Amino acid sequence: MIEKRVAIAAVIFVLALTGVIALAVRTTGIGLPTCLTDVRPFSQGKVIEQAPKRYEIHYVARMWKFDPPEISLVPGSVADIYLSTADVTHGVDIIGTNFNLMAVPGAVNYARVKFEHPGDYLVVCNEYCGLNHQNMAGVIHVTEKAAAPPPPPAAPAAGAGKAVLEQYACTACHSVDGSAGTGPTFKGLFGSKRVFADGTTTIADEEYIERSIEKPSANVVKGFDNVMPEMPVPPADIHAIVQYIETLK
Amino acid sequence: MRSAVPTYTRIEVEPGLRQIILIEIVFPMVLLLLGISTGLLQVLFRSGVIRAPSFLGMNYYQGLTLHGVINAIVFTTFFAVAFGHAVVRFFLNKPLPLGVQWLSLILMVGGTLAAAIPMLAGKATVLYTFYPPLRAHPAFYFGLVAVVIGSWIGFFGWIPAYRSWHRENPGVKTPLGVLGIFATFILWIIATIPVAIEIVFLLIPWSLGWVKTVNVPLARMLFWFFGHPLVYFWLMPALVMYYVMLPKVAGGKLYSDFAGRFAFLWLLVFSAPVGLHHQFMEPGISSSWKFVQTVFTMLVAVPSLVTAFTITASMEHAARQRGGHGLFGWWTKLPYVDRDRWLFAYLFAGLISFFVGGITGIINASYSMDAVVHNTAWLPAHFHQMVAGPVFLAFIGGSLLLVSTLTGKEIVMKGLNVWVPWIWTFGILIFSLGLFVGGLSGEPRRTNMGLTYTNPASPLYQPTWQFARIVGTIGGVIMFLAAVLFFIIFFGTLFSKKRTAGALELPYSELVHDEDVPAVQSFRPWLVGAVILLAVAYTGPFIELAQQHFPGSPPYIPSSPLAQPNK
Repeated sequence: MIEKRVAIAAVIFVLALTGVIALAVRTTGIGLPTCLTDVRPFSQGKVIEQAPKRYEIHYVARMWKFDPPEISLVPGSVADIYLSTADVTHGVDIIGTNFNLMAVPGAVNYARVKFEHPGDYLVVCNEYCGLNHQNMAGVIHVTEKAAAPPPPPAAPAAGAGKAVLEQYACTACHSVDGSAGTGPTFKGLFGSKRVFADGTTTIADEEYIERSIEKPSANVVKGFDNVMPEMPVPPADIHAIVQYIETLK
Repeated sequence: MRSAVPTYTRIEVEPGLRQIILIEIVFPMVLLLLGISTGLLQVLFRSGVIRAPSFLGMNYYQGLTLHGVINAIVFTTFFAVAFGHAVVRFFLNKPLPLGVQWLSLILMVGGTLAAAIPMLAGKATVLYTFYPPLRAHPAFYFGLVAVVIGSWIGFFGWIPAYRSWHRENPGVKTPLGVLGIFATFILWIIATIPVAIEIVFLLIPWSLGWVKTVNVPLARMLFWFFGHPLVYFWLMPALVMYYVMLPKVAGGKLYSDFAGRFAFLWLLVFSAPVGLHHQFMEPGISSSWKFVQTVFTMLVAVPSLVTAFTITASMEHAARQRGGHGLFGWWTKLPYVDRDRWLFAYLFAGLISFFVGGITGIINASYSMDAVVHNTAWLPAHFHQMVAGPVFLAFIGGSLLLVSTLTGKEIVMKGLNVWVPWIWTFGILIFSLGLFVGGLSGEPRRTNMGLTYTNPASPLYQPTWQFARIVGTIGGVIMFLAAVLFFIIFFGTLFSKKRTAGALELPYSELVHDEDVPAVQSFRPWLVGAVILLAVAYTGPFIELAQQHFPGSPPYIPSSPLAQPNK
């Protein structure tokens, strides 16, 4: 007898819970990730305005940035976001929305989001993707004037150059002792002659190092690949890095 | 049929088995010193107390890998095997084949060391979920396989004793503890087959460079086929202690024998066909299959609720035996801080976080709500309530019990010992409060936030998360304090003077209701059910994956955004 009662109770429990979940899905309008078998993985990010306030966004997660890094929309925009990754598994959470999807190599993920309220929506990577994972963030600006660029962040306090290098995991690719890495070594960099992939040359001064941090793809040193992400390094930290590199003779 | 109640309270154990159990308890306990210290470092890194990629030469993510592998895989597997030896040996009262058990121990220790070396050298900073295409050193994968195979062999060694006990005791139910441990390890075998396929056929050839690319969606589905039953593999030995030991140390009896058997067998069936609930937010799997597994997931809540009611009834029975009365007044009569019933505190305190963990688990498993909490700090808050709550407290309590009884040594500092689980539980509730609150506002898990999100000097600074991290850190420090006290008591007991000859003495409960329900007296129908449900739940998703031709992924290492040349 007890078996029968347990079985009935279990069935009622399951049906009730299933109903609550189905109701929640219907009433909250949460966009669930959808299986997409007919979209090939893409490696370029883009924002396509299909109609006023209707967007299709191709969003690419890569170590350790999002492409496009900044997106501007007007309030009330509905965005169909297609998500892919160029390298490892990432997690993409647009803070303040229910968009929270995995970017899995080889596949494309999808969800629709409506941006009702103006503001800057932080986008964070929430799946471990390597040593710079904590720096992987993007932003979606939702403002009336969609084209307006965001104000630059206030300059923070300077840190010791060596600590700053470690903070941004620069040393994961750039050695300070002359050994080989993914990027050129910092040892002896300052004042040296740089030969770039396009054949041009320059002498590495302060301006060159600053530019290389802010816009790594501007001058790619010959023999290295253009893989360094643009990271949100505040001016004071850049200054500290430059000063430290100058000491590495 | 009636339940077998032992007519003895202690048995002499062969010296070989005694050594095996003691090594299986002490070896992971030494590693746990590192596993728990890296846990403390996590909260300090995340809140920005340590604002650096590394501390004492150990990278945040390297420490996180060690924390997960040691605490959640090594410590739990070793304890489950050691506890299984003790339960099977005690309740069946049959010797176990020592050669087989030595082989099991050697494989598990060797595998642990093989995985530990690349982790300590920073060559396997892939976290304990080792998602490809992040690649670890091949020794890491080989080591994990050896630990799993060692644990299988430990289980195989119990089967002859089980068979011969049944021949000699026709018409008697398998002892509840033995049924629970066997259900645990049958589930473990079901669970580890898919992950073994993932490691042996996908990851090892790929990490050795024999094949160029790996199918990541397939690897992830095989991993989570294993990943959810894994958590029940942690939980079920703790449930054995809840059903078999807790009512006894509370001063009463187990309310229902049927409830215990039902819970173990139901978990055996329903904890595996649910892995997709870890993959709700992933592409490549259709919503329909995710929903099917959502329903199965809700069914896993059934045995947890059965357990909650049965244990509460047993506690009420015990409290009334101890003079409790009234509708709620009996609660005051339980031995919460009775130094001679210290195991009660370890088990009962875990029930508090078991409650929080269970409720939040139902939230996570609700397909649509998962979009809010997926991969946020909410997730580690939830599973710490489980694996660092009832599982951890039962396992360290069980470790102390086994060491003390097998070596014949008296537990030192008993007055302090009984407070350890309460301090730990207080800490974990505060710790998780911080992570729950942060998680709901989007705080990501597995992130060295001190460098960016909780760093006021960074343009990514998030004040909401900073507050949550301060709360979480206070909780983490309290947990660490409890752990340090436990280690002092554990190793103090281990190195104290022997008081009596060592023997195996386990507390076990008598029964209030010894129901005769044939359906829960045999594994066979439940095993058939498990296989059918697995086929229903997973055939469709695997066919879907096979139909989509995903481009394969070359290996990556955590320090470089470039694909690694695969020679």
